[in-house]
Amino acid sequence: MLELIAGVLVAFVAVGAVVQPLLVPVRAGKQTAKPEIEFEELEESASPKIQALLALKEIEFDRATGKLSDEDYAELKAKYSKAALDAIRAEEAATSAVTTNAGDAAEELVRLAASGALAVCPQCGPRPETGAAFCSDCGRPLTKPEPAAKAKARYCEACGNSLSPNAKFCDSCGVKVGAQPAGSVR
Amino acid sequence: MTTLGQLGLWLALLIGAWGTFVGFYGGYTGRPELIASARRATYALCGVLVVASIGLLVALLKHDFNVAYVANYTSRDLPTVYVLSAFYGGQSGSLLFWAVVLSLFGALAQWLTSRKYDHLLPHVAGVTCAVTLFFVIVTLFAANPFERLPFTPADGSGLNPQLQNPGMVIHPPMLYLGFISITIPFAFGVAALLSRRLDTGWLHAIRKWTIVSWLFLAIGITLGMWWAYVELGWGGYWAWDPVENASFLPWLTMTAFLHSVMIQEKRGMLKKWNMVLITLSFLLSIFGTFITRSGIISSVHSFAQSAVGYYFLGFLIFIILAMAVLLWLRLPMLESDAHLESMVSREASFLFNNLILVGIAFSVLWGTMFPVISEIVRGTQVTVGPPFFNQVNIPLGLLLLALTGIGPLIAWRKASVKNLRRQFAVPVVSGGIAAAILTALGMGNFYAITTVSLAVFVVGTILQEFVRGVGARHRLHGEGYLQAFARLVGRNRRRYGGYVVHLGIVIYFLAFTGQAFRVDLEASLNPGETAEMQSPWGHTYAFTHIGVSQYDELNRLVSAASVEVARDGERMGIMKSEKRQHFICSAPIRPCPRQLRKPSFEPSTEAGIRSDLREDIYIVFAGVVEGTEEAVYRFTLNPMVWWVWFGGFVLVVGGVVTLWPGTTIRTVGEGDTQGGYAAQLLESKSA
Amino acid sequence: MHRRDVLAHLTAVAVIPLAGLVRAQEVPAGGAQEGATGDRVAAPELYDPFRVGRPRDRVTDYENDPFIVGLESRLRCTCGCNLDVYTCRTTDFTCGTSPAMHRQVVEMVESGKTAQEVLDAFVAQHGEMVLMAPKKEGFNLLAYFLPGTAVVGVGALLVWALAKRRGRVAAATVAGDTLSSEDRATLEAELSNLEL
Repeated sequence: MLELIAGVLVAFVAVGAVVQPLLVPVRAGKQTAKPEIEFEELEESASPKIQALLALKEIEFDRATGKLSDEDYAELKAKYSKAALDAIRAEEAATSAVTTNAGDAAEELVRLAASGALAVCPQCGPRPETGAAFCSDCGRPLTKPEPAAKAKARYCEACGNSLSPNAKFCDSCGVKVGAQPAGSVR
Repeated sequence: MTTLGQLGLWLALLIGAWGTFVGFYGGYTGRPELIASARRATYALCGVLVVASIGLLVALLKHDFNVAYVANYTSRDLPTVYVLSAFYGGQSGSLLFWAVVLSLFGALAQWLTSRKYDHLLPHVAGVTCAVTLFFVIVTLFAANPFERLPFTPADGSGLNPQLQNPGMVIHPPMLYLGFISITIPFAFGVAALLSRRLDTGWLHAIRKWTIVSWLFLAIGITLGMWWAYVELGWGGYWAWDPVENASFLPWLTMTAFLHSVMIQEKRGMLKKWNMVLITLSFLLSIFGTFITRSGIISSVHSFAQSAVGYYFLGFLIFIILAMAVLLWLRLPMLESDAHLESMVSREASFLFNNLILVGIAFSVLWGTMFPVISEIVRGTQVTVGPPFFNQVNIPLGLLLLALTGIGPLIAWRKASVKNLRRQFAVPVVSGGIAAAILTALGMGNFYAITTVSLAVFVVGTILQEFVRGVGARHRLHGEGYLQAFARLVGRNRRRYGGYVVHLGIVIYFLAFTGQAFRVDLEASLNPGETAEMQSPWGHTYAFTHIGVSQYDELNRLVSAASVEVARDGERMGIMKSEKRQHFICSAPIRPCPRQLRKPSFEPSTEAGIRSDLREDIYIVFAGVVEGTEEAVYRFTLNPMVWWVWFGGFVLVVGGVVTLWPGTTIRTVGEGDTQGGYAAQLLESKSA
Repeated sequence: MHRRDVLAHLTAVAVIPLAGLVRAQEVPAGGAQEGATGDRVAAPELYDPFRVGRPRDRVTDYENDPFIVGLESRLRCTCGCNLDVYTCRTTDFTCGTSPAMHRQVVEMVESGKTAQEVLDAFVAQHGEMVLMAPKKEGFNLLAYFLPGTAVVGVGALLVWALAKRRGRVAAATVAGDTLSSEDRATLEAELSNLEL
């Protein structure tokens, strides 16, 4: 008897769970209550840019371990550099296209700030208005920053190793990073 | 509790059918309420099958011998572990086990898969529900574990004594987990085909599933070898039995898949081939169940012949036809993105690796099925036993071993002759030296010499990979050697984890070679008499028969023969091999009076085993002469057996390294878009 | 009621190894001396011979003879155990068929038959199924050579296809143009970004 009641209960719960979405309409996009932030492994990225960059790194590594000859290295490097640059450009284009279409003011701002197209006030940070010469909050003159990619690319003066944006010392040779203008080595 | 179990099965039938329909239809129309319902169906299906399983487990634990399954596979005195393992020890229980585990995997696939792959999930739900539904149907209509007897026997007939072994408690579920989890990658493949989303997305979604199911298969097969070695008493671990072959086949195709997937991920090639491989793996996992249950090929593992075989045959044919149609319809969308840049490249070496792996799979399948084919074609039955399989597969296996060493030395995309010379010099020379040493030592066995020198070659390449990799990091990034090593492995877990797996495979090969040097001796000894034999390593073993003692255990009568073992005149200790006569009691009285004991199975043998890095001593007590203590023994010296189990361990370690989460990037983040991968965020939103 | 059952099982699990240990101590120690090799004294009667299964014959030189063992590992035991005669008679001690087949083999070898004659005699008696591996003739050749031929054939096809394609790809490869310094900087920045 008890077993039968338990059985009926199980049946109700199971069938109820399956039928519920049909009776109570789900709002599109709400059906998956997943965390807002997800991580994926680099190698599993669908981005052609990342795949091309990974290929470049691998080519570099294969030459270092002696698997690639210099001629093959040069040829492959040229090929995948081109692929990576194409992907980077395509991605940049897609980014601007998507944000323009999205019509979301906040996102548009973020995109512009990220791409470096926005003027920056030394006191108040990035300004929302494009093409302004002075900050609308504090009145200070605004500076036009260089594109992000260029600003980031820094090299060690001593060995030519590429440096991370905040590095104080070269992680290859240990020489202190000087006041050399960005991107001038090589 | 059988009522509840029975009800659970019927509910599973209902929900499984609904989930199948709504999964495919929801995926086709994209209607969110249907998709949500399909997802819920996978969870509910898992729930009701768990209820059904609990029903069976309770019946087993309560010794409800009115239930035919409980009476057939357990008895009152069976230790509780084996009562629980009887859940999957018999035909119908194992089908229920399959269904419940598959539904669990199906639910996990819905739950754990990243939001990126939402477009695939309804179809995945459809496939997992459909396959689960098939097993539920077979369980309900052809082999129901809840079937009752018209009477209640006093005691069950007990579990086959050979299955009463700790190995048997974990080996089948591991193998089942491997078989069953193949369904998930297959489901994603089908989903990719149905949804026309044939980029590398589905491969990324299943990467971990593939490796996990491959690992389960490997562990299951190795445990099966261990069980066979410890329990079956012939002193070997692999006999090319149809069921062993059936577990080996999907492992081979999955291994091929793991390799060829890398080519598709990196280069966008082999898309059709990967679909074929994953379908093949799934088919072979079902095929394994089919041949054990249909009785089409006789095997030590066979369950009783029943109608179940026809259900499986029908299902197999359906899958083959459906997949053929689906693949044909999507053929134009499966074109390669790139072409091979060179015949001397990692890609090309993977092609050959796939060829050999699938070739071995084919030859094993061919050999397994040949008796049936011969009977159909010629009307003559033939036996295809170990001598055949060894003859056909050893050369292919050695070719594969060689490729294991060659592949990693060749660069992706392209390699030139000069570099190849640099890469191959050390490994080839060390392999050659190994061959020379073995020949000089007078080893006459060609295959053994080849295997060992190839093994040395492969180990050489693996070591060289690590050494040069560390060196390169040291030079490129200026890291210390230890840090370089940690980062090398840490940032390329798949590659270097894969090398560790290769190492495990090499160890297996070496261990298998040991079987060629096995020696046996039969002897009948009076107490106090000694038999001597030479081991392949040159030791002299002396076995002195001490005597036979007889005593009773809970569910068996034991006769234990004891042997004193000495190596090169040095006493090693006493080893024991047992004969066990299992019995059941005709009344629930404990301890069972002598008059009520009924022998339940033929006497079984427990071998005495002493393992060591070089060789195992394996003693089997065959019986006695004329009812006296004069015992008949088989003594076996079995070289290198320990290395099989160790190879399995190394392989699992390597597998875990590849599975360990690596460098990650954030892809979906609402709050922060200023990072370097803002484009990724936007891209996934627009999808 | 069933709690008692569970307890009984638990104690049983605990007792088995203990019982094994205790019994191992009882093994008569006196028998461990070197046995007299000359006149064999009959061994003492066993307490209950029934438990040990089928009575065994004394082992003679025939059982270990490499020639006979070699023959027997090529013959299949007809009891349905799927094993060869040698493995069956030294493993499955409940089988009456493999000892009988063993005696047959010994008789035939004794009467001067060659290996092939012995195998042929068995095939004549039981059919081709009695051989552990099919004879290499006629239709059976397909069993032996199809897999290998298929692998070699497909491999050759693969090499041929790759060699053909290679020419095409090589022609299609464009000479790598040099990167502008700006592009190089972009690439380097992206690459260092990847170095997380």
